[in-house]
Amino acid sequence: MTTPVLETLNLEKRFPAGSKGLFGKTDRWVNAVSDVSLRLAEGETLGIVGESGCGKSTTARLIMDLVTPDSGEILFDGQQLHRDRANLRAYRRNVQMVFQDSSASLNPRLTLEQSVMFAPVQHGVPRAEARARARELLEQVGLDPARFAGRYPHEVSGGQRQRVNIARALALRPRVVIFDEAVSALDKSVEAQVLNLLADLKEAYKLSYIFISHDLNVVRHISDRVLVMYLGQVIEEGPAADLYAHPRHPYTQALLASMPSHDPDRRTTAPPITGDPPSPIDLPPGCRFAPRCAFASDLCTARAPLPVAAGRQTVACHLADPASGHPLLNGAKT
Amino acid sequence: MTEPLLDLENLTVRFRTPRGEITAVDRLSLQLARGEVLGLIGESGSGKSVTLRALLRILPEKRTAISGGMRVNGRDVLGLKGRGLRAYRGGTVSMVFQEPATALDPVFTIGQQISQAVMAHKGCSKTDAMKRALEMLELVKIPSAASRLGSYPHEMSGGMRQRAMIALALSTSPDLLLADEPTTALDATVQIQVILLLRELQKELGMGVIFVTHDVGVAAEISDRVAVMYAGRLAETGTARQVLGLPRHPYTQGLLASSVQGLEPGARIGAIPGMPPDLAQMPPGCAFAPRCALGR
Repeated sequence: MTTPVLETLNLEKRFPAGSKGLFGKTDRWVNAVSDVSLRLAEGETLGIVGESGCGKSTTARLIMDLVTPDSGEILFDGQQLHRDRANLRAYRRNVQMVFQDSSASLNPRLTLEQSVMFAPVQHGVPRAEARARARELLEQVGLDPARFAGRYPHEVSGGQRQRVNIARALALRPRVVIFDEAVSALDKSVEAQVLNLLADLKEAYKLSYIFISHDLNVVRHISDRVLVMYLGQVIEEGPAADLYAHPRHPYTQALLASMPSHDPDRRTTAPPITGDPPSPIDLPPGCRFAPRCAFASDLCTARAPLPVAAGRQTVACHLADPASGHPLLNGAKT
Repeated sequence: MTEPLLDLENLTVRFRTPRGEITAVDRLSLQLARGEVLGLIGESGSGKSVTLRALLRILPEKRTAISGGMRVNGRDVLGLKGRGLRAYRGGTVSMVFQEPATALDPVFTIGQQISQAVMAHKGCSKTDAMKRALEMLELVKIPSAASRLGSYPHEMSGGMRQRAMIALALSTSPDLLLADEPTTALDATVQIQVILLLRELQKELGMGVIFVTHDVGVAAEISDRVAVMYAGRLAETGTARQVLGLPRHPYTQGLLASSVQGLEPGARIGAIPGMPPDLAQMPPGCAFAPRCALGR
């Protein structure tokens, strides 16, 4: 098997949730990300889906080293990432990120061209060369440099700002770009333009993408493989086509069935699951999905399922493991 | 023909801004029958939320000029004043907002907020109003409703808060419910629950609903009829089946084509070029012409 361009091993992160008194220690934690391992192959787009609080954004921030993991490792080109200055500098040249809020992620006092050339200049590219590259990138993301290079972020629309963020992410010639809900704030007609642009850029620069979104349709469209998260854990993973056609985990099934139908004649008749995702502070014992799962048994609340292979997918559910002893499995056999 | 619940005739809303006057809603004519659900679709700046706010008469009066006809139950809404306006807002017509966290008052419990609305509009006692509040929470299927009456908004999850907001809006038995992107801020599995709840309540209570959304899928799930707005103007209206199945306006066609729903994964999306016009600098003639494939 070829070495993935980016790999994470058992990433773990929890945040303190309030504290007891001024010098008190916290005993409550937000379990943001638990045991997340993922592989991104060269030239691949890996989609990450899940509801709010499932840890998808924290996973992205961990990969970018914007948040330091409690434990776990990140491997780039098979090499373990060491967190010293020189290593991180080189790593961040290779891995870039585009955020959801297009205006909050641009410096309001820099022109669009200055924003795009900022990182290359920091990394030692001569100004003239950085400027030429910035103009070229602006052109490539569909912003005519003659009109846009000297403008400030507040002078352009949200879609145009997000194009600038994409150009900026590409300015260091990275190999991996992480998009964290990068098209979610855009209007549909603009979102479609940006998705087309991302496909073109991936082709032109031989990029690998991690694409995080709550929009299941968009993730399906852009991803080769998809990873589903629930309460900080990866509960299912596999090729996009397989996972959308035959979701194995009850949560994935419910999530996909919750998508609006787009056809007034084929409306959803019953909610696939009830309730809201629980808080990542007080985690349920055993399988974290058990309290909302229609198939939960005593086994599920007693023991957390481990990921097992099911076809080309990997699923963390007792029902997917023939040896788990889940009562519904025995029922099916007899 | 019976009188429609809502009759908008050339509704025009203008705002005075530092950059000059802009027309947020431009000659909008729409009708809504009793017990009908109208899905109002459009992108940001298309005027869909402004239309709802104009209907509820909650736009800032000093900076807004509303003209045209706006009748609910045959009554002229623009002429309402004082007590009549108070009874209309929240009584005849009520609204569910996108962000229940900001629309609900953080310092009052859910029970207090609902009972206050009931007392103000129905003139009943506090005890009866609280009883009504409990009924409403049960109606929107909030688990252990009796204990939730004493909850503050921050103690509830997003989905639960939106249910409470719906309970509040329906507690005065309005004839017309305005829903401004009520499911946009919710997670997918919660969104579908709230849509199904609204559909069920609408059938049960028989009110008219205007449901504003930018999501074509959500509109398909809930609407009898659909109206598409672009740059403050009505682009197309018809039954949900007609508009979403066989759109006639190039903008509606473009909007539906720019969705990745049902598209071969990885295929090129038929995006509309350009972006919606600046309302302060509208193109002459058709507002969509500069982006239209058929325009000349």
